[in-house]
Amino acid sequence: MKFLLNIFEKKIKPNFEEGGKLKVLKPLYEAIENFAFSPAARTIQAPHGRDALDVKRYMTMVIIGLLPCTIAAFYFYGLRLLPMIIVSYAAGGAVEVLFACIRKEEIQEGFLVTGLIFPLVLPPTLPLWMVAVGVMFGVFVGKELFGGTGRNVFNPAIVGRVFLALAYPTAMTTWVATGKGLFGNMFKYVNAPPAAQAVEAAKKLGEVATETANASQAWYSDIIVDGVTSATPLGGADVSAVDMFFGNVSGSLGESSALMIIAGGVFLLMTRVSNWRTVVSILGSAAVMSFALNKSNPDEYMPALNSLLAGGLLFGAFFMATDPVSGPITNAGKYGYGILIGSLAILIRNFSAFPEGVMFAILLGNIVAPILDEIVFSIRFRRLRNEG
Amino acid sequence: MKFRGGYNITLQGRPSKKVKILPEPEALYLPLESKRFDFTSIYVEEGQKVDTGDVLAVDPGNYDVPLLSPRAGTVRLSSTEGHIVLEDISTVDDVPDYDKDSIPHIARQMGASGEMRHKLLALGAWQFFRDAYTNELPDPMGTPQAVIVSTLSLDPFTARGDVQFKNRLLQFTRGLEYLQSMLEYQPIYLVIPKSRTKFHDKVKDQIRGYAWVKLIEVPLEYTRTNFNILARNLGLKRADGPIWGVKAGGVLAVDRALTHTKTSLVRIVSIGGPGVKTPEHVKVMAGYPIARIREQYAREGQMRLINGGFFTGRMLGEDEIGLGVEIAGITIIPEHTEREFLGWLRPGFDRSSYSNAFLSTLRGKFAEKFTTTLRGEPRACVSCNFCEEVCPAGIMPHLIHKYLYSDMIEEADAARVDLCVECGLCSFVCPSKIELREEFIGAKVFIEEEKAEAEAQRIKQEEAVQKEQERRKESSEENLY
Ligand code: SF4
Ligand code: SF4
Repeated sequence: MKFLLNIFEKKIKPNFEEGGKLKVLKPLYEAIENFAFSPAARTIQAPHGRDALDVKRYMTMVIIGLLPCTIAAFYFYGLRLLPMIIVSYAAGGAVEVLFACIRKEEIQEGFLVTGLIFPLVLPPTLPLWMVAVGVMFGVFVGKELFGGTGRNVFNPAIVGRVFLALAYPTAMTTWVATGKGLFGNMFKYVNAPPAAQAVEAAKKLGEVATETANASQAWYSDIIVDGVTSATPLGGADVSAVDMFFGNVSGSLGESSALMIIAGGVFLLMTRVSNWRTVVSILGSAAVMSFALNKSNPDEYMPALNSLLAGGLLFGAFFMATDPVSGPITNAGKYGYGILIGSLAILIRNFSAFPEGVMFAILLGNIVAPILDEIVFSIRFRRLRNEG
Repeated sequence: MKFRGGYNITLQGRPSKKVKILPEPEALYLPLESKRFDFTSIYVEEGQKVDTGDVLAVDPGNYDVPLLSPRAGTVRLSSTEGHIVLEDISTVDDVPDYDKDSIPHIARQMGASGEMRHKLLALGAWQFFRDAYTNELPDPMGTPQAVIVSTLSLDPFTARGDVQFKNRLLQFTRGLEYLQSMLEYQPIYLVIPKSRTKFHDKVKDQIRGYAWVKLIEVPLEYTRTNFNILARNLGLKRADGPIWGVKAGGVLAVDRALTHTKTSLVRIVSIGGPGVKTPEHVKVMAGYPIARIREQYAREGQMRLINGGFFTGRMLGEDEIGLGVEIAGITIIPEHTEREFLGWLRPGFDRSSYSNAFLSTLRGKFAEKFTTTLRGEPRACVSCNFCEEVCPAGIMPHLIHKYLYSDMIEEADAARVDLCVECGLCSFVCPSKIELREEFIGAKVFIEEEKAEAEAQRIKQEEAVQKEQERRKESSEENLY
């Protein structure tokens, strides 16, 4: 690889240096160079060597943690996930690169995670342009406005998702049935169910678009299929806990299979990249809350186990609330944060017009996180005052 | 004793117990500056012949701590900047060059204890003492609230206590007795590792008879033996007076000075790290040419020599020619030269991490070949909280960093940046590669200066107010007449 490194350092780099033609794009070049080759930087002060973990690896771990439920999503909902991921990365990445170049700062790896998490929390047949709009909104409002990764108050993926839920409620609540059998929908491209397509089509100008779409559908008719509208457990469908555990249940792309979410989530906990305190307190408080509701009126509220497995609770707990930047940093704060999110999610689910309460709960949690931290800080300060 | 934070790395090249005597050099290059000392008053002249143990210079800012000549030789003052050079050196036996009449009045007043303390200062043993809180040289004539003796050094790598007093247990305990006799009733805490080796059992047996020595057993984890951390854990307050911290080598120096009236100019220093061919201990004196050590010990290729350990040591620069008087260990680490292709994607069997994000987690402890790579690019804090988890001082490095980043100095002060013991663990674990330790060292100095200035201002103002009052009083008295 010496050869390649040479090309990078001698041939390409000068273009991006001071006086080079492409100076504006320096952050992009640096990101690519340091992506391919570990950075050349040396320590200049003690400690003279550093821990092997860097932010790239950190984010890579999150992506590995997301792989099981990504694979599950392919199985249940088919190839359509692929363009969704690509669009999400491209649109989100464009915003990130643009801002890095404007600010003349490095490109932060955080968006690698946002780009993958975002499609996983969307309905399987959401139009691609909505994916693009959502992720751009999320990255711009949720992150860049605050000054980029590390300074953001909100989780960008959730901001994008909540924005879409408020702006396009129909599309965001169009669910399709999962694939079954050995390969599920793995080799199929599942389009929106006809009813939803009609709504979309009406919005579009003229018939032409639909006709071409129909024509192309005829071509690959065995690959491209229309989804069948289906209700989610939270939308009133009667689904057994076993089905929810393995994922045979309609919902957002990555949220189907509890098993896969737990597998990836526990991996992430074991790497210490995400913190168990948040996860345990979310799930614990949600369990307690739904258990209490179920006991008070078993006809109205679903059993605690179903409640834990349904919808995005597990996904939110393992992958979204654990985002360290938008959550509290102190360990004590994490307990409070988790309890708040867990119980709020159940309350919003059962007592509001939004059946999917987790996202709103995490958003609220994000707002409260700095306050929780402040409280912990002030307690710690008081304790530290008389030390030494 | 309940400890906070702490973390161990396993650096390749741990020095063996072997102690080697380095060959005599042709010349010694004694630096006039070291971490704590600044030997500005020079007592010798160009071309002067000196004997072993002669005073070459003293540090007037530090109770006139002497820079003693480790060998007989001819003084050259101007040949190397910042150094006193000794040429034509020869080993004349360590002549006790101690003059009883030179004892200053103040020491004399203190009786036997004062005489002993003066002897320690004059014979170079006092240099081994430091204040647990400030890390500065304590006042030799002062009264400490306690003495902490540590037999451990956990920063990889500095000279191991067990190597230093392996065969000198008797001298060590005698040194402790001397220390006790200089005190009134203050306790001496002896820090030994919480491990059951024969050697430590022997130490424990020896100490058992001394009621005034309080044994503290600590786990072998970096930074359990930091004097500051120990003092805080023992409940000793900074405001209650100085706390003397001294290591095994210092106790032996005390014994040597007070039993034999001899200087301790030859030290046992460790040479270790992944860049060392044969990691071991050496007997060496201040001024020993660093180039000779590099030649004999450093591996091929670009190597970084560090004065001290991996976590807190200081890079030995090009302009440093001889070893300083405070050297405890030399760590040699290869400079980072190779850029890995797709390094972040590697399974990482060969790299350990505080997190478990590498396959090395499955491997258990192994000696890792660290280089000087930063292993990443500086990023904004990702709030992973690792720094707080490892911090032995119980402060919140990420928060202080945020305060300093936005120039909120007062808040940083309230967050107790002054408690930072500069152990470097936070900088080590930070995935965002933020130079936390360095930031805090700067902030501590800045805050201390600000406070001193504010204090000076306050005194000035008070004086002005007083003068004003006096003037008014005078004038009103005048008016009466
Ligand atoms: S350098 Fe200071 S802040 Fe950092 S871990 Fe050590 S004591 Fe804590
Ligand atoms: S270790 Fe670094 S990235 Fe993590 S919280 Fe501390 S300062 Fe932030």
